[in-house]
Amino acid sequence: MLRAFVLALALAFALPVAAQAQTPDLGAVLSENAEEIAKPSRRSVGPVIEALVASGAPGVAEFLARWQEREVYQRESDGRFVYIEDGRMVGVADGADLGAAPEDGLDQIRPNGGVRREIAGALVQFQLSAPDPAERRAALDAISSDMARDQIAPLEASIPGEELAALKARKTRLLDMLTARFGSDTEARTAAIARMSSGVSVELRGVLNQILEVEEGRGATLPPDANLARLRVPGSDLGIEAAYAELVKADLAPAPQSAEDLRQALAAHIEGGSVGGLPLARLSDPEARRAAYDALAAEGRVAPFVGPAEMMAAVEAHVFYALYEEPDAAVTTAAAEALAAVETRVALSEAVDISLDALSLASIYFLAAIGLAVTFGVMGVINMAHGEFIMMGAYTGYVVQQVIPDYTVSILVALPLAFAVTFAAGVAMERLVIRWLYHRPLETLLATFGISIALQQLAKNIFGTQARPFTAPDWLAGSMVISDVISISYIRIAIFVLGLLFLGLLLFILNRTRLGLEVRAVTQNPRMAASMGINPGRINMLTFGLGSGIAGIAGVAIGLYAQVTSEMGANYIVQSFMTVVVGGVGNVWGTLAGATLIGFFQKGIEWFNPSNTLAAQTYMILFIILFIQVRPRGIVALKGRAAGQ
Amino acid sequence: MTPSSRPSGLAALIRATPSLPWFLGALTLFTLLVTTLSEALGTGLVSTSFLKVLGMTLCFCLAALAMDLVWGYCGILSLGHMAFFGIGGYAIGMWLMYARTEAIVAESLANQLIPPTEAEIRDAIGAQIFGVVGASELPWIWGLAHALPLQLLMVVLVPGLLALVFGWLAFRSRVTGVYLSILTQAMTLALSLWLFQNDSGLRGNNGLSGLQNIPGFEALPQAQVALFFFWASALALGLGYLLFAWVVAGKMGGVIRAIRDDETRVRFLGYPVEGFKLFVFTLSAVVAGIAGALYYPQAGIINPGEIAPIASIYLAVWVAIGGRGRLYGAVLGAGFVSLVSTWFTGGGAPAIDLGIYRIDWVDWWLVLLGLSFVLVTLFAPKGLGGLVDLWTARQAPERHGSDLGPDEGALREPEAER
Repeated sequence: MLRAFVLALALAFALPVAAQAQTPDLGAVLSENAEEIAKPSRRSVGPVIEALVASGAPGVAEFLARWQEREVYQRESDGRFVYIEDGRMVGVADGADLGAAPEDGLDQIRPNGGVRREIAGALVQFQLSAPDPAERRAALDAISSDMARDQIAPLEASIPGEELAALKARKTRLLDMLTARFGSDTEARTAAIARMSSGVSVELRGVLNQILEVEEGRGATLPPDANLARLRVPGSDLGIEAAYAELVKADLAPAPQSAEDLRQALAAHIEGGSVGGLPLARLSDPEARRAAYDALAAEGRVAPFVGPAEMMAAVEAHVFYALYEEPDAAVTTAAAEALAAVETRVALSEAVDISLDALSLASIYFLAAIGLAVTFGVMGVINMAHGEFIMMGAYTGYVVQQVIPDYTVSILVALPLAFAVTFAAGVAMERLVIRWLYHRPLETLLATFGISIALQQLAKNIFGTQARPFTAPDWLAGSMVISDVISISYIRIAIFVLGLLFLGLLLFILNRTRLGLEVRAVTQNPRMAASMGINPGRINMLTFGLGSGIAGIAGVAIGLYAQVTSEMGANYIVQSFMTVVVGGVGNVWGTLAGATLIGFFQKGIEWFNPSNTLAAQTYMILFIILFIQVRPRGIVALKGRAAGQ
Repeated sequence: MTPSSRPSGLAALIRATPSLPWFLGALTLFTLLVTTLSEALGTGLVSTSFLKVLGMTLCFCLAALAMDLVWGYCGILSLGHMAFFGIGGYAIGMWLMYARTEAIVAESLANQLIPPTEAEIRDAIGAQIFGVVGASELPWIWGLAHALPLQLLMVVLVPGLLALVFGWLAFRSRVTGVYLSILTQAMTLALSLWLFQNDSGLRGNNGLSGLQNIPGFEALPQAQVALFFFWASALALGLGYLLFAWVVAGKMGGVIRAIRDDETRVRFLGYPVEGFKLFVFTLSAVVAGIAGALYYPQAGIINPGEIAPIASIYLAVWVAIGGRGRLYGAVLGAGFVSLVSTWFTGGGAPAIDLGIYRIDWVDWWLVLLGLSFVLVTLFAPKGLGGLVDLWTARQAPERHGSDLGPDEGALREPEAER
């Protein structure tokens, strides 16, 4: 096995090596450089490694690898290098069995970190053709993270022998990148740039940016034959003061005086209560300070004042420019074009990524609001304790996870249990409080708010103020990576799917079942429904229970993604009401539209101003307030009799 | 009633609001009592810290009064009134903080050889105030902070303008009832989220602090300052009561109550409903702003958490427990609930030992408050004010069984008869 590997390496390097040495002999090279190998130092080890590689002898790769791993020993008696295998010494050069390893008389060779890095660099070329694909992949990663000119040849040599198509493609791309950066002739480099510049990977952008690296400069004139990236025009893409500061730094102009410098200069030249002929008391005026300073400057006691006019003159007398570090203009032009194309694609991918984010945010809002779509939207009951039902669902999940340690099973148990718990709580609340207040929405709001405070504090008393862990199973951890730019976590996908599921379920219940028919009848006209033999009390109770139960399930889902605290529900309540109101009351589709609008709008704002989620929320609420001006009944407004009064 | 027999001026006011002399008398008595018991001028039975609590409670009462005007009289359940309260506090806090920092900066710059320029003083103040949020320049909002009269104007103008714009937008598009409540709640949430940012120019979640030190009165002991603020709060509450009694007494008061009971009918009768609502909403926002401006110098610190939606809901809770639709009810509710709340959460109430569980009121007070709020809403919609009715045996008007208003938020027969 090892032999075959070494043989393959030898073949890969046979051509360049054959010209130098007819009989590659590792032993000879080793003994020539014995001293350096036994006590390698980072500075001087380079030629030795080169000699080893150049010898092309079989066993070089193995030796390098084991040298790096500190598995090579030197026999004190004759200076031979040996490995130790199963307690026996084996000669490095010839593999001869040299007898049992003695207790002492062997020196372990311990290359330091710097040397090991050098060895690792040399090993890459061997690893590129290693039989194990994982090792080849690791070698490619190593090259990709630290590109260098001398990697071109070994990489190129390893491509024809590559068997795996994926790795071959990767090697070809990497070779293109290396060629683009370090290649010697213009044609090859531009061709490589053109070949590699598809996709959006960070690696690709890194290479292009490195080719396009610029150095900013300034001077009286433009330097001749430089590869000019762009001119920096003071006043438009370079501030006058910043430009002047550059001149000062490059010793092309005298330093300007800040207000503080001025004050200190004046303070240093106080003579008998006045400076430059002006009394101290007058110096609280900036004009007077300047006059005093000019007086001092006229006497030659301080440097002349550099004001805006002087700065402007100095800046105008100089040229500010940025030069590519890469001298070849054709290459930089090609790279700039390629980068522009890549960045367009990146922007598109980012838009897709933001849309995915927005979709997942929308599904969270939808999930939080869908219970309200039933209780508030369909029944018209303002339930301020809706958020606390979400919280109850999440805590149910937490408690179930305490009892059932298996994450997958516990979630499967928690979902129906959360529904049951919040369904019961909802029914109890409807029977005890809400049914007495059906025609007084403002009072319903207040009473349910009282319940919300009590429930929140109760949760705090039971579970404490700290966030409780509610962990997702492994198959929900991590995220789906589509490209370097687009990725989405599995939990968010699960929430999205759950949201869709509930949309379907709710539509089915409301439109296709007996219960749904009765619910719609009772909400449209309770007296007529009662005359038809429907018990409105029972229907109201069940509907409210259904809405609350859905809130409980939403709580389990949200608990997986956000923190489980007693205040988690309160964070969603205003947004949830907004979602329902914006979408249009009385319609599940409206809630979906509202959630989508709010989700996309919030992510859209965050895209423009990524650092500031608080501002995004503020603007979103302002937007909603204005939106309600335009469409007071929401996006999907009910028409006709169903719209009510 | 002929015009000649109609009582005029104060007499008419007292006739329309019989509680006015009682209330003003009680407030005066209370103020005198507290003054004689205070540390600064009296026996010292009321400690300075408790005096501050009392002063702050009076400010809450004033805010509740404003809330009662919009909700109890005009039927607009605003869940964002503490935003106006907070804005008032921020407006006065900006001056307090600026003036105090200016004094400190002037002192530290005084011993420099060269007298400082105005720009230097401003920069130093900015660095001092905004050091905590990593900035050093005074944002434009602080442009008027150096002048007390201008900033006092802001106490009135900013809440008033905000209420005017918000109310105009909302009332114009006929957003009413629960929708309006949720919208006002969104407004206060937006405001607090905006203030929570560090670059809002108002020190982010640090808020404004050190407001209890009044510039120019550093030499005065806190006991005296607290007493002055107590007097000011009592005066403001008395004046606010008088103002609102006047607003709800006359013909305008009738229209306002009619809007609460049946907005559509009032509109069809030809009254500009939006104008009345806008006036009431803006007026109460201004009064809430003034209450806030008096509250925060006593509290000493203001931060965006004070503007969070929950605070405004508590305001509604106070008014509901006190009894809405009557001015003294709001004052009663705010005073009673906030003082009891202080007593419970401050560890004043004794814990109840049940053997297996010990009820510690610091933890259980909110549960009690929430549940009693539900009970009040269900069984005593008239709140504490209903007790007064028992005492005066006030009779509900006989309406022959019809609703007092078909509007969904309106008072209904069973309540009116109770």
